[in-house]
Amino acid sequence: MTTPKTDPANGLKARVTGTTRRGALSTLAGGVAAASLPMWARYTHAQTAEPIKIGFQVHRTGIGAAYGRWYDRTTQAAVKLINDGGGINGRMVEIVAEDDGTDPKRGAEVVEKFANQHGCDIGFGTLFSHVVIGSAPRAGELKLPYFVVSEGTHVSSGMLNRYTLQPGITDVRSQVIAMAPFITETLGKKVTMIFPDYGFGYDHRDNLAPAIEAQGGEVIAKIAIPPSETSFTKYFPRIPRDTEVLYHVMVGPAVLTFVKELGEFFGGRGPALFGFIDSLEAVTINSPGLEFLENTYFWEGMCRHQQSDESPHETAYRAAVGVDGRGAALNDGRDVSTYAHMFGCWETLHVIKAGMEAAGYRGPKDRAALIEAVEAMTDMPESLAHPQGDKVFNGKTHQVFGHQNISRVEGGKLVRVHRTSIEDSVYPDAVDYTTRPF
Amino acid sequence: MRVIGLSGVFLALTTTVLWAHASEQGFVLLLPTDIYIVAGGLTVLITVALLAVLPDRLTDALFRPARLTAVRPRSWHRHIMSLAVAIVLGWLVWRGVVGPRDPGVNPLPLSVWVVFWIGLVSLQGLLGDVWRWLNPWTGVGALLHRVTGSRAPLRYPRRLGYWPAVLGFLGFSGFLLADPAPSDPGRLALIIGLYWYAMLAGLALFGPAWMARAEAITVLMRAYRHVALVGRMRGRLAIGVPGWQILSGPATGTGLAVFCLLMLGSGSFDGVNETFLWLDLLGINPLEFPGRSAVILPNLLGLLAANAALIAVFSGALALGERLAGGTTRLPALFCLYAPTILPIALAYHVAHYLTSFLVDGQYVLRALARALNLAEVHVTAGFLNSPGPVKVIWLAQAGTVVAGHVIAILLAHALAMRSGHGRGRAVLGQAPLAAFMVGYTVFGLWLLATPRGA
Repeated sequence: MTTPKTDPANGLKARVTGTTRRGALSTLAGGVAAASLPMWARYTHAQTAEPIKIGFQVHRTGIGAAYGRWYDRTTQAAVKLINDGGGINGRMVEIVAEDDGTDPKRGAEVVEKFANQHGCDIGFGTLFSHVVIGSAPRAGELKLPYFVVSEGTHVSSGMLNRYTLQPGITDVRSQVIAMAPFITETLGKKVTMIFPDYGFGYDHRDNLAPAIEAQGGEVIAKIAIPPSETSFTKYFPRIPRDTEVLYHVMVGPAVLTFVKELGEFFGGRGPALFGFIDSLEAVTINSPGLEFLENTYFWEGMCRHQQSDESPHETAYRAAVGVDGRGAALNDGRDVSTYAHMFGCWETLHVIKAGMEAAGYRGPKDRAALIEAVEAMTDMPESLAHPQGDKVFNGKTHQVFGHQNISRVEGGKLVRVHRTSIEDSVYPDAVDYTTRPF
Repeated sequence: MRVIGLSGVFLALTTTVLWAHASEQGFVLLLPTDIYIVAGGLTVLITVALLAVLPDRLTDALFRPARLTAVRPRSWHRHIMSLAVAIVLGWLVWRGVVGPRDPGVNPLPLSVWVVFWIGLVSLQGLLGDVWRWLNPWTGVGALLHRVTGSRAPLRYPRRLGYWPAVLGFLGFSGFLLADPAPSDPGRLALIIGLYWYAMLAGLALFGPAWMARAEAITVLMRAYRHVALVGRMRGRLAIGVPGWQILSGPATGTGLAVFCLLMLGSGSFDGVNETFLWLDLLGINPLEFPGRSAVILPNLLGLLAANAALIAVFSGALALGERLAGGTTRLPALFCLYAPTILPIALAYHVAHYLTSFLVDGQYVLRALARALNLAEVHVTAGFLNSPGPVKVIWLAQAGTVVAGHVIAILLAHALAMRSGHGRGRAVLGQAPLAAFMVGYTVFGLWLLATPRGA
């Protein structure tokens, strides 16, 4: 039996199960007990109400540092909003930031520090999946709830544990398969893929091809590029002449060279170009030399450039994080944010707040109740807590699902041309974490 | 998995262990760097050619300093300054232990890696001997001496020479290049605190000779002092073309000569270890860097190998030159004579390598200062690295620095060769292999700035 519960502060609709209801009842009982305490005891309790400590595993150094800077800003902005609104269960939120060096071994050490040294209630953060995969087992051993913002399909694949959740950002598998309907219906049925020749490229190859075929399309060529390649023109003649859509997911320092050479090769007369904004995240899209991007399509988790129908929640989010209508810092138009992804930090923190409130979270002994409260969540309506849009959380796989955006570069601006349904991005469950013991 | 490669263009951007920065690498790859590299190599080659035809005394004249005002240094001034620095260092170490865990906020990593390692070392090499005033041991040493009234009980063993400093510097470079988290405030506090204490013990036991020969940072700073514009000459301040103090300075011993080469070798490897080439060599996908903890041993071995290779090639060039010129000077003497000429290149690498880091990480320092002083919040931006214009300016500044370092090194080596008194023909012939080495190293240095990086 479930009871819908809507929190007006964050608009999050959770279904409180028996367990979380127990949590809520115990909070209530705590409140009654507190009211019956003598005045001096209540005063003492209020004085010792410590902040809720959230260990923030941030890529401050190493290859993820550029992301870390904006993830940090988004996190600080979300915490400010939460604290200005009274905190969580009446307690302020304190962020304890530790650098994980974008390194899995270091990441595990940091998780351990959160639990044993800094007395953190939970761990949060981290983008690069190898750090998440390196850290999650330690979080599980230490029974520290670990909320990740990495997009990795590793959470829903079942390879992690009950303490690791990804409730604030969709995973790469759902992003890729959600692209297929638009590609085949709008851009063309004959698709050629260009991808780097290693695991990341294979994820796209292996997820997109079946999805395209299910839509009646066909992947007619798969061109794998060696990871250390920095010159690409020699690969382009391998693109079949009847290609209607070129799906590219190149990454690394040579990605601008790739885009430039692709543009020079086709001279604006080739197939439709479709890519993921990841490769150009934080890069000014109308930079000189990137003119070839005009009229090409990109996946965006959240639309960097302000759209005509932007929701008031997103407008408020932009202001809170400090970015302008082009996704750049308010005081430096060249400092373009990692806008397509960083909302994940904001939304995750609001899920943590909602979860702690539903569980009546008071301290580390309530960690399991917190996990159960988040597992019980389903619909997350669009709100200031979820400015990217409404979402559905799957408590069994610990993964959230949401809308994806496809934008076209028009006059140097990313204009959204399609927003996928949540159903487009759903795939069968591979795990039920709720059956695993705490 | 996608997220490994998620950062796209950012993946290759670290020029330091501190804070990687945004997408300038992608824009660097769009620059015609091949042309710039050839131009840089030609500049050094033309310098060599000009030296063969220009008047003999030209280089000596070029490096003759202009003498300025007389200086009467009062040692108590700098002892007080040094004591103040020691107190600040103590505070920083304490903050490292109990302060914020974020290395972008904690003042210890910011002070050690940005203010000291990038800023002060560059200032020492470019401007003049600031370390004399900022050395955090000498003031405490003087105070101990004054309070106890006793001199250092032991004599520094002469046979140790500069070798303790050589080991110390290799240890420092190993920490910088191979430790998984050199910016972790707690870890850094422990290492800095212990090192400071150990070196103070050395100073107390062996006196100032310990500082001058065994303490790696002081030896490094005193070496870079010789490259600076401003120095002292016969009781007066003097200013001259960078490197003039190398020609007017005392002869260099073997340990110090090796130390000079390690400064360049370690600095160069600090670029090599991030390149696609190096990662390929290790069998690591450069788009999927597994983190520093996975490359600790390769980085340590690479550091040693790079330094050994540099010493071998440098020695080979000197030996070959002497043979070509028909000279009889033995290699150790040549090595000690010419090793200091490498210092301008080492400094140029240091400045060029850390320039972008300094521009970004310096803002974290300003932000920390602004917060401490309750001033308006500083917005840390890497925006200038996301546009092609500033990236080109920064790259050319780095390349120009590297080329200038090599040109000065060539001029210094030529001036030293002319002093041997065997005539220009023999000097030019004897310098030919070293000149070829310098041209090659210029090309290598510019390639390092241009090549894609993945760590």
